[in-house]
This record gives sequence, C-alpha cells and structure tokens, in this order.
Amino acid sequence: MSVNLEPQPATLPRRRFNPFWYKLKKNPLTLLGLSLLLILLLLSVFAPLITPYDPTKINIVERFAPPSSTHWFGTDEVGRDIFTRILYGARLSLGVGVAVVCTAGLIGTVIGCISGYFGGRLDQLIMRLMDMVLAFPSLVLAMALAATLGPNLVNAMIAIAIVKIPVYVRLARAEALALREKLFVKAAVTFGIPSWRIILRHIIPNAVSPVVIQVTLDIGDAILLVATLGFLGLGAQPPTPEWGAMISIGWKYLLDYWWYPTFPGLALFLASCGFNLIGDGIRDILDPKANR
Amino acid sequence: MKQLIAKRLSLLVFVLFGVTLMTFFMSHVIPGDPARMMVGQRADEETLQEVRRQLGLDQPVWVQYFSYMKGLLTGDLGISIRTQQPVIDDLVTFFPATLELALFAFLLAILIGIPIGILSAVKKDTAWDHGGRLFSIAGVSTPVFWSGLVGILIFYKLLGWLPSGGRLELGAAAPQHITGLYLLDSLLTLDWDAFRNSLWHLILPALTLSFAQLAIVTRQVRASMLEVLGQEYIRTAMANGIKGPLLLFRYALRNALIPTITVVGLSFGSLLGGAVVTETIFGWPGMGKYVVDSIAYLDFPAIMGFTLVIAVGYVLINLLVDLTYYLLNPQIRE
Repeated sequence: MSVNLEPQPATLPRRRFNPFWYKLKKNPLTLLGLSLLLILLLLSVFAPLITPYDPTKINIVERFAPPSSTHWFGTDEVGRDIFTRILYGARLSLGVGVAVVCTAGLIGTVIGCISGYFGGRLDQLIMRLMDMVLAFPSLVLAMALAATLGPNLVNAMIAIAIVKIPVYVRLARAEALALREKLFVKAAVTFGIPSWRIILRHIIPNAVSPVVIQVTLDIGDAILLVATLGFLGLGAQPPTPEWGAMISIGWKYLLDYWWYPTFPGLALFLASCGFNLIGDGIRDILDPKANR
Repeated sequence: MKQLIAKRLSLLVFVLFGVTLMTFFMSHVIPGDPARMMVGQRADEETLQEVRRQLGLDQPVWVQYFSYMKGLLTGDLGISIRTQQPVIDDLVTFFPATLELALFAFLLAILIGIPIGILSAVKKDTAWDHGGRLFSIAGVSTPVFWSGLVGILIFYKLLGWLPSGGRLELGAAAPQHITGLYLLDSLLTLDWDAFRNSLWHLILPALTLSFAQLAIVTRQVRASMLEVLGQEYIRTAMANGIKGPLLLFRYALRNALIPTITVVGLSFGSLLGGAVVTETIFGWPGMGKYVVDSIAYLDFPAIMGFTLVIAVGYVLINLLVDLTYYLLNPQIRE
C-alpha cells in the first residue's frame, strides 16, 4: 500500500465562486436597483461639478422657467434651478433615510437583545411598550409625534425612528432568546462575565444579521416617510432642498407649472425604488424559500 | 380555537389601553405647554393660568390621565381649536368620506392585485413575472402624493377624462343621506346622476390610494401561489390530469388565499392612514384632510382625536383579520 506523502498546502485554495455574487448577478432587478442608487449617489456627490447653480439662491427674473437646455428641470417660484435642488436634496433625502433606519436598527437591536437576554418582567414590559407603538399605522403615529415635537427635520427623523424601532426590537429579541440558550453564552455566564459584556460581545454581534436585512428593506420606506412628513409641512422647512418639502410647495402649481412637483417626485420614486429593489434582491438571495 | 380567540381579545384590551396612554402622553406631556399652544404666544399669564386650570393641567399627571380616560369613555375628544366644534362631531362628519375612499381603494387593490399575483407566479421567471414584480416594487416605492399628482396631470389636465378633486361636481346635489357613502346612498335611492357623479370623482383618488396596497397584495399572492404550486398535492393533481383554471383556482388559489387574507386585511388599516395624503391632494373632504388642515393650526385635540380613532380602528381591523384567519385555517380550527 502506498501512501501519498506529498506535503499538503497549508491553507485550502481560495474559493473563487461566491454564491451571493452569483445570485446577485442572476437577478437583473437587483442590479437595476444598484445602478439607480449608484447614479443618484454619484450625482449628489459631484453636484457642485455638474451644476453651476446654487440650490438656495433666489433669481426672481427666471421664476417658473420651463425645462430647457439652461435649466434641465425648469425653475421654481423664486427662480431656483430645480435640477440643482434635486441633486443637493439627494444628499439630504438619501442621507436622512439611511440615518433614520440605521439609528432605529441600532437602538432596536440593543433594546431587543437586552429584552431577550434578561427575559422575565423586563422583557414583558419592553414588548408591551413595542406593541403599543405597533398598534398605530406608521404614518399616522409619525405624523402625530412630529406634530407634537414641532415641525422640523430633526423631529421628523426622531418620529420616524420611534415608529421603526419596534420591528427591530422584535427581530433582535427573537435572536437573543435563542442565543441565551447556546453553550458559549452559558459558558460565559459560568465564567462570571458580567451581563452587559455578554450582551455587547456575544449576543448583539450574533443577533444583528436579521436586523441588517430588515434595515435594507426599510430604507426605501423611511425615505418615503421623511418625504411625506416634509410634504405635510412636518419635516424640512423651506428653503432646505428636501424632496418632500419641494413637492409640498410645488403641487400647488401643478396645473400651470407641471415640472415643479413632478421632477422631485420622480427623484424620490427612483431612490425609493432603488432601495426596494436591492432589499428585495437581498431577501430573495438569503431566503431559501424564495429560491424554490 | 376558543382559547386563541380569548387570548386575542384579552390582548386587545391591553393594546387599547396602550393606545390611549400614548395619545395622552403625546397631547399632555411631550408638548412643552399645551395651554400655551392653545391660547397662543401673545396671551397674558392670567389667561394662561385660567386655561391651564380649565384643562386640568395644574393637576398631577395620573389625575389628568384619569379625567382624559373618563372623557374618552363618554366620547369626549376635546374641542377643536380650528373649528371650535367637539372633535368627535367633526370626525363623525368626515368619517363616511374616508371610509368610502378606503373601501373603494381596497376593492381595487384586490380586484387588480390578485390576478397580477397569480400571473406572476404561474409565469415565474418570465417577462410576465419580471413585469409583475417591477410593477409591485413601483407600487411600494411611489409616494402617494406623487402618484396623485401624476394622476391629476395625466387624467385631468392632459386627457380630461377624470375630475381633479372633490366628491361631486360643484353645485351637484349630494344623494339623500343614509350611510354617508355617496356611492351606496345613490344606489339605495336609485339616484343615477349622483351615482355617476360620485363614481367619476372616486376613481382617481381610489386608484392613487390603492397603488401601494395593490403592490403588497400582488407580492403576497405571488409568494403564496409559488409556495402552494410547489406542494405535493398539486403535483398529484397534475399527475391525475387536472390542469388549467381548475387546478389554479380550485386547488391552488383557495389555499394560497389564506395567508393573503392577513396581509390584505392589514393593508386596509394602512389605507386609513394613507388617506391622509390622498385626501389632501384631491381635496377629498374626509378625516385625512381634516387632520392635515388641523396640523397647519397645530390643533392638538383634533390631531390626537384623529390619531386615537385611527389607531382604535386599526387595532379592531387587525383583530377581525386574525379571527377570520383562525376561522378559515383548518389547522388552527381543529
């Protein structure tokens, strides 16, 4: 009997096939979403190089100019270039949407992990509080909270974050409940490691993945909520170039100057569509049921 | 089954208590000074103190909550700062218009969403499916206020097919009041002019409002149908020569609709919320327009009254959906 005594490589050869990227490439709608967002992102980052206009500078001589080669998307009631305002507004609308959902995801994960890890009365109290928030339609509660806190962008963000938190709490709690029964957590408890450290080092990092998926699915919705509050006069205030606030003023001029509310709305639609396509794609890839 | 229903009902009491607690905190605790908001910045200190005393704001918080609850139980939601009428009376006046809009939008979402969902599932991974999925993603990604504006631009301004707002033509007489739902009232009284007129005005706002829900229904039906079509009993049926509409509708759709009911039912609750924006765009005289007009005046009693009524409605609809689900699902029923 001969034995192959050739030295084996110290590490296995690097796997070149990545199923995630393979599935992503096979999903044309997800790639469309990625492209949409990439274009919007690049346009907003390079806005000062793309457009010569100032997003807030008033130019009353050119008020309500229709779309042309000088003003691609026309101008508004005080002569500001709408294309420029959309580009600068992208930084705000996209940034605010992402920031709100990430903040809510972070807070929700911490609360959910604490709730699931400790269980008992604390868990009951936290979950019943979350049930209260979930008892409201999200737009109605966000609207009531934003009106209560005072109409401005920061308060609108706080209101939307509060509305979004319970979903993440539930997801993280469900993970924490399973994790606290795992051997490595029990071993950490046996070694006398304090609870806050177990939650921080062992529970949260292992409970975070479903929250991350939900965050990607929620960004599109959060962008729409921010814009809706802006539209209702409860978000960003003029002259801030926020898309919802632009539509809020522009829709009164719809029948005479159609371009004013139409183009900011189109930008909002494309951004939300981009995030939803990506979120949907990621869910399809990670959810084995969807791949049947 | 009975235990499930009993548990669900006991949860309802708790959630309703939570809803009142939240609206109380929003109206009495979070704003710096509700009395100041009510009398305005220019009012003198004496007036302010008097209003505070009248509103009971000089009492401890728990006493305030108790009197708030006492008021709620007798239907007292406060007096609107803007209309100077009891909020409950205002909401009762505006409710039928909102209900009519939401019901019609709900019907559209079901009638259009279910066939598209089935088509997407049956033609999985074809151009039909991609088209259906793109349509449903477009639905959830379109801001309601923007789809409304685009609808007005196309169907009112460019084509002239549909009116841009209101429940009836200016000067047209409303049908005799029975339920407050113009479409139903005109049908009951056989007032065909009013029926045509109100249907004409209802189509565009309802389509706008239903767009997002339609997308949700389509997505859910597609997912449920895909799951059902992959099950063994369907394969057995196919092996026995059953195919076409009989297989789809009698064997697959019946089971696929059970989880769909939950999503569709919940979407009705969201329609009530979404009506806020739709009614504003189309000048639809419902509760949504009422609350948006109230926001401009920072009319807290009106805003909180609306929030409370919608939340209670939402909770009750959720309960109804759950109970229907229990009744329809044989696994739970047994």
